[in-house]
Amino acid sequence: MIGDNLVVDAGTGSRATWRELAQRSTGPRPAPTAYVVERSIDALSAVAGLKDGGELLVASSGRLDESLAEELRTAGFDVSASGDVQAATAPRPAEDGRVWLLTSGSTGRPKRVGHTLESLSTVTGELAPRTWLCPYSPGTYAWWQVITLGLGVPGQGLVLVDPADLDDWVAPALEHGVTAVSGTPTFWRRTLMRHGAELQKLPLEQVTLGGEPVDQAVLSQVSEAFPAARVSWIYASSEVGAAIVVHDGRAGFPVEWLDRDVPGRPRLAVVDGELVITSPHHGTDASGAEMTGAVRTGDAARIEDGRVLVTGRLDRDELNVGGSKVSAGAVRDLLQSHPEVAWAAVRGRKAPLVGTMVVADVVAAHDSDVTADDLTRWAAERLPEYAVPRRIKMLDEIPAKETLKSDV
Amino acid sequence: METLDRPAVRKLMGEVLAVQGKTLPDDDAAKLADIGFRSLDFSELALRVEDEIGDELNFEAAGLRSIETIGDVLDLLVEIQGQ
Repeated sequence: MIGDNLVVDAGTGSRATWRELAQRSTGPRPAPTAYVVERSIDALSAVAGLKDGGELLVASSGRLDESLAEELRTAGFDVSASGDVQAATAPRPAEDGRVWLLTSGSTGRPKRVGHTLESLSTVTGELAPRTWLCPYSPGTYAWWQVITLGLGVPGQGLVLVDPADLDDWVAPALEHGVTAVSGTPTFWRRTLMRHGAELQKLPLEQVTLGGEPVDQAVLSQVSEAFPAARVSWIYASSEVGAAIVVHDGRAGFPVEWLDRDVPGRPRLAVVDGELVITSPHHGTDASGAEMTGAVRTGDAARIEDGRVLVTGRLDRDELNVGGSKVSAGAVRDLLQSHPEVAWAAVRGRKAPLVGTMVVADVVAAHDSDVTADDLTRWAAERLPEYAVPRRIKMLDEIPAKETLKSDV
Repeated sequence: METLDRPAVRKLMGEVLAVQGKTLPDDDAAKLADIGFRSLDFSELALRVEDEIGDELNFEAAGLRSIETIGDVLDLLVEIQGQ
């Protein structure tokens, strides 16, 4: 029974079934409500109560500043935080079953995208019983993907770890029998660097990466760390839902998937170097109007060796160095393929004579003493001269935003 | 704001070349073309100077001039700091 699926809060060790969570719900509120929570578990009674109606948005307190709260109140939301409710300034009745997501905001202010539990639940068919670790920030698309697994699919237990506690997730995962983990590549790089051999104790059957560009290096490292696990890469977003799922352990997806029409499945295309998706899992825009047709994702995509590689945000990926074009994502992937590099971020920096110069932030692998000059020389052997990162800053640890992305 | 004197900029210039396995000649009159110090190397040197002084260099303040020798590079980068 789905109601018997268990949810464990790793922070407190508290356990509850979805049925119990639903019983704790005070029922749907008459007005659309934004639940601002400190911890994932604090949002779940409202989520469980959604089956009886109501309209909600979930956001972690760290993501909701004052101006965004005002924006929501103007859009008709009561804003509920720590039991206090600030009433909407333009009240309206709740639309039963409506769920709102805030985009990650990596390209500006977060946008509001409308869904329902049904449109968020993209898993089809039966799943083997699993216990999932959910490390995502409350209310994000990835968080909802894991939460709706627990809420909607029999045999799927959840262990919630809040982003603030991520450095210590392995011990609670072992304690509570986690067999599947979904995380961003940044989450996995941090995990591989911090926990190393300790990870072999985790009996993972499923490892999922999503939310950021995935390169071959991190896929290979995860596969090596968890040889018994199926390793999946998911391309999903608030706007287009879960659109691409790849299980073969290789970066990108097969080029044969482009421009293919399969009933019920998203149509994928690359137009002028940008990934374009027409999806049956589209959400709505802030006005509630259904998004239809092809969505320009803003993500750069390129074809290489029969694969379509999604390398990063289009507006930041293409650098112009003295008239030569450089893909920041391709340079990042190269740096991350170095055996002593745990993580890299590449960007352009204003420079005289050439306009823009390629620079990078790098975190070395554990116990490595590789230097910035070593990496510059290594890259110079593999890249055109203009694409070599000339200023490499070595960082002590992988930076990560609350959304578990390392978009620095 | 901290500024770098000529020897300090020269040291950074040597570091740019050292990564490429090259040595900066002692003679400031040495031609850039002869030692293989090109646009990208000059740009990198400028970024190194910016990182050291914690400020962006204003190349518009330099006016038009020929940069042909090591001395020209050092003169320029010393002159435009803080402008």
